[in-house]
Amino acid sequence: MLDIELCGIKMRNPLMLASGILGSYSSSLNRIAENAGAVVTKSVGAEEREGYRNPVLINYGDGFVNAVGLSSPGAEVFSKELKNFRGGCPLIVSLFGSSPEEIAHLTSFFPFADAFEINLSCPHAEKVGLAVGSDPTLVREIVTYVKKSTSKPVFAKLSPNVNDIVEIGKAAEKGGADGVVAINTIRGMSIDILSRKPVLSNISGGVSGEAIKPIALKCVWDLYENLKIPVIGVGGITTWKDVVEFMLAGAEAVQIGSAHFYSYKLFFSLKESLLAYVRKNEPLKEIIGMAHG
Amino acid sequence: MFSVRVKNVTKHSKDTVTVTFNVSFRSFPGQFVMLNLPGHEEIPLSLSSPDSVTVRAVGETTEALVNIQPGELLGIKGPMGRPFSIPNGTALLIAGGIGIAPLIYLHDYIIGRGGEVKILYGVRTSEELINHRRFENIKISTDNGSAGFHGNVIDLLKVEDRPDRYSRIYCCGPEIMLRKLYDFFKENKLLRKVEFALERYMKCGMGVCGSCALENGLMVCSEGPVFNGVELEW
Repeated sequence: MLDIELCGIKMRNPLMLASGILGSYSSSLNRIAENAGAVVTKSVGAEEREGYRNPVLINYGDGFVNAVGLSSPGAEVFSKELKNFRGGCPLIVSLFGSSPEEIAHLTSFFPFADAFEINLSCPHAEKVGLAVGSDPTLVREIVTYVKKSTSKPVFAKLSPNVNDIVEIGKAAEKGGADGVVAINTIRGMSIDILSRKPVLSNISGGVSGEAIKPIALKCVWDLYENLKIPVIGVGGITTWKDVVEFMLAGAEAVQIGSAHFYSYKLFFSLKESLLAYVRKNEPLKEIIGMAHG
Repeated sequence: MFSVRVKNVTKHSKDTVTVTFNVSFRSFPGQFVMLNLPGHEEIPLSLSSPDSVTVRAVGETTEALVNIQPGELLGIKGPMGRPFSIPNGTALLIAGGIGIAPLIYLHDYIIGRGGEVKILYGVRTSEELINHRRFENIKISTDNGSAGFHGNVIDLLKVEDRPDRYSRIYCCGPEIMLRKLYDFFKENKLLRKVEFALERYMKCGMGVCGSCALENGLMVCSEGPVFNGVELEW
């Protein structure tokens, strides 16, 4: 009753692990895959990248501010690590890079992936992520290149830190993206009032967690209105009600990251709650976009 | 995150100190804090008492921490992680090198509640020993024979003791030592009694980034750092 089909990928439920959370090793992905509809790995680039120095994450009342800085072991090492993924659910590999050619080349390392997600939205890394994801022309070119490099579905993960997320979404659609993922973290920072210094080593980072939910919901709403391709909603989802809310706004599936702070059995409990919901209501796939008139 | 001030720095040897804070944390033995030294990195450190960490200079941040002065500010997240469980009989503590840090806290915690503790403490040379005279029931091993038993702590365990007579066994030290202890206790069918305090490189320290995942998917920061022997797949 919760099963969905997202661009040809059959998923037992619409709950996906968001990129960057618990996604660096097969061992943790295997664990989440027991109950998730799909898992998205930590973003991977061509070369090894260390990321920023600690502290890279700070929690506050309603979520986190992080500036991990896209740390990655590089495509070759990471593809070996992912060989240990046991296939408990579809595996989506998140990619980042500074040029269309560079990102497109990455897909060849992961022939076992069920889909790819292009990180066009990390707000705190130089030359990659949002740096290439805020220019519609470049976004379109990147998606076109990546689509040419693989027969698997390709999703574009968008940032809210742009003038008009719909414009970027349309560019991705024109480039041939199979779906868009919205949203990545929102730029933010935190200052320690005793030492009077920014907390994060990178000074600023991206805000995630419950605080950004209304912003994410509005982005999903707008993208659903203006795009023909599926929208995957992400941003602050914590409870089953949030999942329903995002689906009503038009999300075909949702991704969840920060809420794993509360429990690693999150997907299990959300799944059970959603089952209870659909017993009294229609199947989840029928409520997608229902809030739009 | 919050800030504390350094109250006291006790030097044990040229590269090892105990840094005492002006605040005592509500915590349990085995828990750690993410300690941020402004201008350097944030690193996970086991508490050696409710208000201190004991640290050896092994990298850039720990090097700076060893030379810190009273009055300086430190950023703290925590205390975090799963602590040691408490024994209902005599406890055996097995420490290797700086791995003594959380076991100092555990020792004081158990003694303070009227329990009995025996410590096996292995180091490379006698110069590395930290405050060992404060413990009543302790046996020392050194790799070079400069104090106590000549050999490593596992050999000491084999000649010295019958581990099955302890109600609970706690191990902390270099991973290579922990893995050898794991094998030994597995062979002797005692794993269920044994707890290991592990160490991993951590980024967030609160269970979301996944950088400290073990081979079986458990997170050292949020589900450890203390694991029962049967939870590990070594």
